[in-house]
Amino acid sequence: MQESIKRRLLFWAFVGPLVFAFFVVVVVPFLWGIYYSFTEWNGIVRSQVEWVGLQNYIDLFEDEQFIYSFWFTARFAVVSVILINGIGFALALLVTQPLRTSHALRTVFFMPNLIGGLILGFVWQFIFIQVFSSLADLLNLEFFRGWLATPETGFWGLVILMTWQMAGYTMVIYIAALQSIPSDLLEAAEIDGSTLWSKTRHIIIPLVAPAFTINMFLMLSNSFKLYDQNLSLTNGGPFNSTQMLAMNIYNTAFQFDEMGSAQAKAVIFFLVVAVVSIIQVRMNKKREVEY
Amino acid sequence: MSSKKSIALLIALIVMCVPALWAGGAQESSESDAGEKVKVDIFQFKVEFKDQFTQLAEEYMKENPNVDLSIKTVGGGDDYGAALRSRFASGEEPAIFNVGGPQDVADWKQYLAPLNELDVTEKAFDGVLGGVTMEGKVYGLPYNQEGYGLIYNKAMFEKAGIDPAGITSYTKLEAAVKKLDSMKGELGIEAVFAFPAKETWVTGLHLSNAVLSQEFDNVNDAFNAKTVEYKYSEGFKKLVDLQNDYSVQPTLSLDYSRQVEQLFSGEKVALIQQGNWAYGSIAGVNEELASNIGFIPLSVEGGIGDRIPVGVPMYWGVNKQLDAEVVEAAKNFLNWMYTSETGKQYVLEEFKFIPAYKGYDVSKVSDPLARDILDFSARGKTLPWVFMGYPTGWGQNVLGVDIQKYVADKMSWDELTAHTTEEWEKARQ
Repeated sequence: MQESIKRRLLFWAFVGPLVFAFFVVVVVPFLWGIYYSFTEWNGIVRSQVEWVGLQNYIDLFEDEQFIYSFWFTARFAVVSVILINGIGFALALLVTQPLRTSHALRTVFFMPNLIGGLILGFVWQFIFIQVFSSLADLLNLEFFRGWLATPETGFWGLVILMTWQMAGYTMVIYIAALQSIPSDLLEAAEIDGSTLWSKTRHIIIPLVAPAFTINMFLMLSNSFKLYDQNLSLTNGGPFNSTQMLAMNIYNTAFQFDEMGSAQAKAVIFFLVVAVVSIIQVRMNKKREVEY
Repeated sequence: MSSKKSIALLIALIVMCVPALWAGGAQESSESDAGEKVKVDIFQFKVEFKDQFTQLAEEYMKENPNVDLSIKTVGGGDDYGAALRSRFASGEEPAIFNVGGPQDVADWKQYLAPLNELDVTEKAFDGVLGGVTMEGKVYGLPYNQEGYGLIYNKAMFEKAGIDPAGITSYTKLEAAVKKLDSMKGELGIEAVFAFPAKETWVTGLHLSNAVLSQEFDNVNDAFNAKTVEYKYSEGFKKLVDLQNDYSVQPTLSLDYSRQVEQLFSGEKVALIQQGNWAYGSIAGVNEELASNIGFIPLSVEGGIGDRIPVGVPMYWGVNKQLDAEVVEAAKNFLNWMYTSETGKQYVLEEFKFIPAYKGYDVSKVSDPLARDILDFSARGKTLPWVFMGYPTGWGQNVLGVDIQKYVADKMSWDELTAHTTEEWEKARQ
């Protein structure tokens, strides 16, 4: 009896403060936010908070920019996840080969991840606008002209930036997964005469599947929630064509002073990201193979 | 085993208490000071003069040792509005904050103290208080006056043989631009303009103001208007086309920094649409150029062609919901800043403001852009700033964005005027 009470106390002594902090910082504002999504308010403390029921939710389905941002973000997420994971996995494969430089390479590939998103956006903005146009003048290639001045170059600019920043991160997770594959499995397969491709397809990939799940989940939710890099690279321009969901919500709240609408958008945003993540994790978990 | 756990628990609890005690301690020390002094928190937006403003505050505190001024600055634009709301929501209400015009005054009405009885209010120039006066009560004090137009490179104009004073209509402006364009090689410029279509405040607020201030009499007129007529739609379109067609391309990714600091200060362009606030940036890069620049008007075809928009960018407001002595101290400080000898010297020489009040020796104004603005004002050749009366977010996020679409050929000018009018009317229902 004494022992189990002591254990419970100890458990709550350690977990308690964290649960409290989580509750106060995450749960309470979340519920409060849901309340505000049913109101119309301009954000000033003593101003009138008017209850409008589901009006905000009805309106956001007619908000063209919100719907555009939604699809833009979804497209961006899909393309980024594929590219980041593809390149990350390829880098991990490269770096787990017995090369002399493999440790140095790991550091080099991971470094972009250490730079904050906002700064990165400004650095790449400089590259895309100024460096590229100098390249265009030097090499006389129209391809390098006018980056970030059109929706397409804005989209690909964002993709390139995110891939550059996050490939190293996914690479690290893949390295861990690759290194946990027992080498005798691979040796046995070689003895049995399987090719590199066949080994990769039938042994490596299934055993690395948990890493795929983790990385896809991380990158998917990251891409959906992107704000810093969006702000510093394009600021949603030109003409809001590269405005992602998070920025659309922020602008609704703080440029148009429509707190209620923004909250409703945020609730929908949360539901979408939660559903997509859950589906993705479920699907991937099924394919995981335990050795 | 269990003693190890207890020790671990004890250490964990102590570590968790440290930040709490630290923060509590810090608060206590400032509270003990506040017992003797009146604490006036200032939450303002002007980053450019933050250092000089802090110095001024220290001078005030020397003369008034019972007042403690504390200044927090948040970079202007949309961020300030959001940050201000957060400050109030967090309970740390500032004593002095900023409001921009009628919309802000309407929003913050229950917090703003009327300032009619102050000395400085009487000294304000005619017209500068219009945007913050409601039912006879004045709710804000102007920081300064600012003006904008087309900043031109005097040396280049001389070389091209263009007389800046002669640019009094759109036709003359267009002719001058074409002449400069034909002499690109000799002047050493990439293009005549650097049009920052990326900056929606330059296009959607300032450029539109040059046109719409000829349609709305003042900011309150714009604030109460149920629609926008676009009386000079052609003139507006021509100003956009002129700046865009003769500019360094692509304009959709051209921002303020590139326009002012790289292209104009680097003498790669002859004209930029900007205001006297750009003086600091230009002087920082090319001091010689900075002493040799001036303004020519954004002439509107069919409308007024020889005036530049001059107005008040931001006002100081006083929070009436705080203790009476804090409100008193806040009002005193603002009054002192603009009417005392020390204050006036700082306003003119340190902040390099164009004063919005009488009683200043304007011959002391040093930079050429400010002098030009004073010159236009003295001749009565100014237009008001009305964009603070636009519906919330309309200027930048509807008109500015649509201008970007127009520049990218995604929208015709007629579609632009139709769409922006629709959005204005929707917001003003």
